[in-house]
Amino acid sequence: MQPLLKVENLVKHYASGRSARSKDKLVALDGVSLSIPSGKTLALVGESGSGKSTLALCIASLESPTSGSISFEGIDLAALHENQLRLLRPQIQLVFQDPASSLNPRWTVLNIVSEPFLIQRRFTKPDRAIRALKLLDRVALPRKLASRRAGELSGGQKQRLAIARAIALEPKLIILDEALSALDCSVQAQISNLLLELQSSLGLTYLFITHDFAMAAHLADQIAVMDRGRIVECGPAEDILHSPTHEVTRTLLAATPRFSESPSELVHA
Amino acid sequence: MKQRHKLTKWLVVLVALHGIVAAAGFFAPYDPTEQDRERPYLPPMHVHLMDAQGHLHLRPFFYPFRLREGSFDQYEEDTAQIVPIKFFERGTRYHLLGFIPSRLHLIGTASTRIYLLGSDAYGRDQLSRILYGGQVSLLAGLLGAGVTLLLGALIGMAAGYYGGWRDELLMRIAELFLALPWLYLLFALRAFLPLAVSPLEAFLLVVVVIGMVGWARPARLVRGVVLSVKERDFVRAARGFGASDFYLLRRHILPETASVLLTQAAILVPQFVLAEMTLSFLGLGVPEPMSSWGNLLATLQQYNVLVSYWWMYLPALAIVPFFLGYLSLATALQERTSPYKMEEKTSWNLS
Amino acid sequence: MLYFLRRALHAVFLLFGVSLLTFLFSALTPGNYFDEMRMNPQISPETVAALRAQYQLDRPLPIRYAHWLNAVVHGQLGFSFAYNSPVAPLLWARARNTLLLTVTATFLAWLLALPLGVWSAAKLGRAPDRVLSSATAALLVIPDLVLALGLLILAVRTGRFPTGGLVSVSFDELSVLQKLRDLAMHMALPVLALVLSTLPMLVRHVRASVAEVLNAPFLRAALGHGISHRKLLYSYALRAAANPLISLFGFSVGTLLSGSLLVEVVMSWPGLGPLLLESILARDLYVVIGGVLLSMIFLVGGNFFADVLLYLADPRIRTAASAK
Repeated sequence: MQPLLKVENLVKHYASGRSARSKDKLVALDGVSLSIPSGKTLALVGESGSGKSTLALCIASLESPTSGSISFEGIDLAALHENQLRLLRPQIQLVFQDPASSLNPRWTVLNIVSEPFLIQRRFTKPDRAIRALKLLDRVALPRKLASRRAGELSGGQKQRLAIARAIALEPKLIILDEALSALDCSVQAQISNLLLELQSSLGLTYLFITHDFAMAAHLADQIAVMDRGRIVECGPAEDILHSPTHEVTRTLLAATPRFSESPSELVHA
Repeated sequence: MKQRHKLTKWLVVLVALHGIVAAAGFFAPYDPTEQDRERPYLPPMHVHLMDAQGHLHLRPFFYPFRLREGSFDQYEEDTAQIVPIKFFERGTRYHLLGFIPSRLHLIGTASTRIYLLGSDAYGRDQLSRILYGGQVSLLAGLLGAGVTLLLGALIGMAAGYYGGWRDELLMRIAELFLALPWLYLLFALRAFLPLAVSPLEAFLLVVVVIGMVGWARPARLVRGVVLSVKERDFVRAARGFGASDFYLLRRHILPETASVLLTQAAILVPQFVLAEMTLSFLGLGVPEPMSSWGNLLATLQQYNVLVSYWWMYLPALAIVPFFLGYLSLATALQERTSPYKMEEKTSWNLS
Repeated sequence: MLYFLRRALHAVFLLFGVSLLTFLFSALTPGNYFDEMRMNPQISPETVAALRAQYQLDRPLPIRYAHWLNAVVHGQLGFSFAYNSPVAPLLWARARNTLLLTVTATFLAWLLALPLGVWSAAKLGRAPDRVLSSATAALLVIPDLVLALGLLILAVRTGRFPTGGLVSVSFDELSVLQKLRDLAMHMALPVLALVLSTLPMLVRHVRASVAEVLNAPFLRAALGHGISHRKLLYSYALRAAANPLISLFGFSVGTLLSGSLLVEVVMSWPGLGPLLLESILARDLYVVIGGVLLSMIFLVGGNFFADVLLYLADPRIRTAASAK
């Protein structure tokens, strides 16, 4: 059974300094490999600057890697032409951390949710509206918000909207890049439950990027720990949480209140 | 909220001003090309309510001018004739907005012509000429600004969106254009194009030349907006759905440039109207018989006109309310986008 | 030092760009300019042939540019048909007159703008400031063409000021003092027009820069130490606000040749402006090219001058440059 997503030895360099020819480069990803089986959740934990967001952008084909491969259902994404990639893009979606910048504040809620349909040129206009409203129901956003501008919504509502937009094209893989980090605690809980519910009903696979082990514990089947562009440890969630081997993992765990005293049973069953 | 009021106020003022010029046919008593060789250089006529005998009239009237005894260019009022001024009169035929035929004029007189702002060397009514001339000058300014903004927006978007060497090159060229004095650039451009052209060709030439002069600043500003919007996550998200460059530019990036472009428009239009006036005044712009505010002023280059016929200066004043309106609109727009107000800062004042 | 080199290189680049632009304008005109010249009876066919040879009109564009650039660098700016003389001396004579006007006007404008702007900033929001702001706003609304013409008419009707020319006809017969007075009378109107058109913007800029600086804590501290208001304003605040003002000054210097074109034409002042206009109307192309080039060189030079001033005036730029 091949994994849905398989990343092998992904390397990404950024040229720093003003000239493209400058020798200084920023190594964001230094040979990252991971795989996610279909229907499961892999949590990617790491500090800021460890390269998590870069990895997310590469997998979503919004940045091109310097070397390495990204296989989705066995297809190598890097080898595809933009036109071919466009056919595959609906299957891999990204939810960003800050909904204030990932949603165009001037657009209405309805337009934002139906934007994927518009770009992929699917369905007729009235059909798009109907499907968009159904998506709003799916993420428990009241329909009366449909004509409001995105800038007027609360943080939690915005993130629900971002999720609604992400599932519009019925993707198989959703990458959540610190999607809950900007929300209040209570809202976090609501949204993570929504995510779990969507996963089971739609058969989604998640790559959940976070710096918070507690969140990872709640959602993940597997956990990978990232540090300075490399995966330092990877394995089933219980193993990582209860018996971490790498020093970085231990440091991160120690910083998380819930796991620094005694490991609790807050593991996704 | 107060800003909103200011904005609407000046917008209304400008629309009214433009409306008057656009409906020049209605507001002008006569056809601007209608000559009266027997009445050259008439000074502006006075409108009276009380006649020489001290009677008050209900309807305003005027005394026609007649030549003073022994003079060939000094006029005085002929108090023997009273010519009433009628409103909403039928007069010479004109076409409103170029295609609606009408004969209705705001002001009309039965017999003798009234020259509210005087007449020129051929006896043509200055008021009518100023109103019709405004159409040409304002149109040149608006079209010129349109060309500039279009050019600036396209170049700015290309530079900002594609980046790299294209950006470098375009911005260097923009820097060059920004460094040049616009009047000289205007002249240089105009100089190297043929001089003797038909009025329509001259008009289009003026518009194109004016339009090509000022694109650098809008381009820079648009580029700035594009650079900042380009990195926003909602643009990334749209790309994640497979959006093309064109879609991103049109649907997400362009709307963000609207406020910058509007402010620039408010600043550029009056400048370009002035540019047309300057060119035409110097004989490089719109030629006779087409009248524009610029070539109406050209007669002032003759010394005798300057000395004796001061009312020929009046077309120059016509642009002042427009300048006021546009500049105030620009200030109001700028205040709206950058709410930093100097006056409200709690600064201690040196008493 | 590196800063200088960079700015100098930048200025050279601009000059190249300007020269290229000017050359391209002239080279790409529709209609063969030399055909028009040949039809002009005042110019002998030998002159036309000589010019053709000199400017290599049959060669491709880059070669022509190289030849033209070579000629320019050697001070040969072409030949004027209307005046029947080489262009360069013609330009210098007129440029001198223009500079006489603009230097005086710029000097006066800055002399007035600095205290007015500083005072306005000091009384921000209060009556004097508001009055001054209204006055500048009113002046800004009147474009320079309208202003210049208006002043001219006023002068003509009052008959007090001469309405054109550099000096009176009887100039040579006057004593030195009378000569100066005569010149001053002739200059009065154009200088007034120039000052009135540039003053409002200057005052606004000075006011804005100084007002921004007046909020700074270090000034409050100085006041607490007990220095006088005038010293505070001029020695401290103005110095701190100097950067944008120095750039502005550089710009003023840069427009010394080009800024007075309209005023000169309207007021019949024998400077570069009227020359440029005449040449355009007479299709005396080399004069036009020379004039445009000269004023653009001034502009680039002015900006570079501002860069130099900034370097000398602002220690931050000096240290930043040497740290690199």
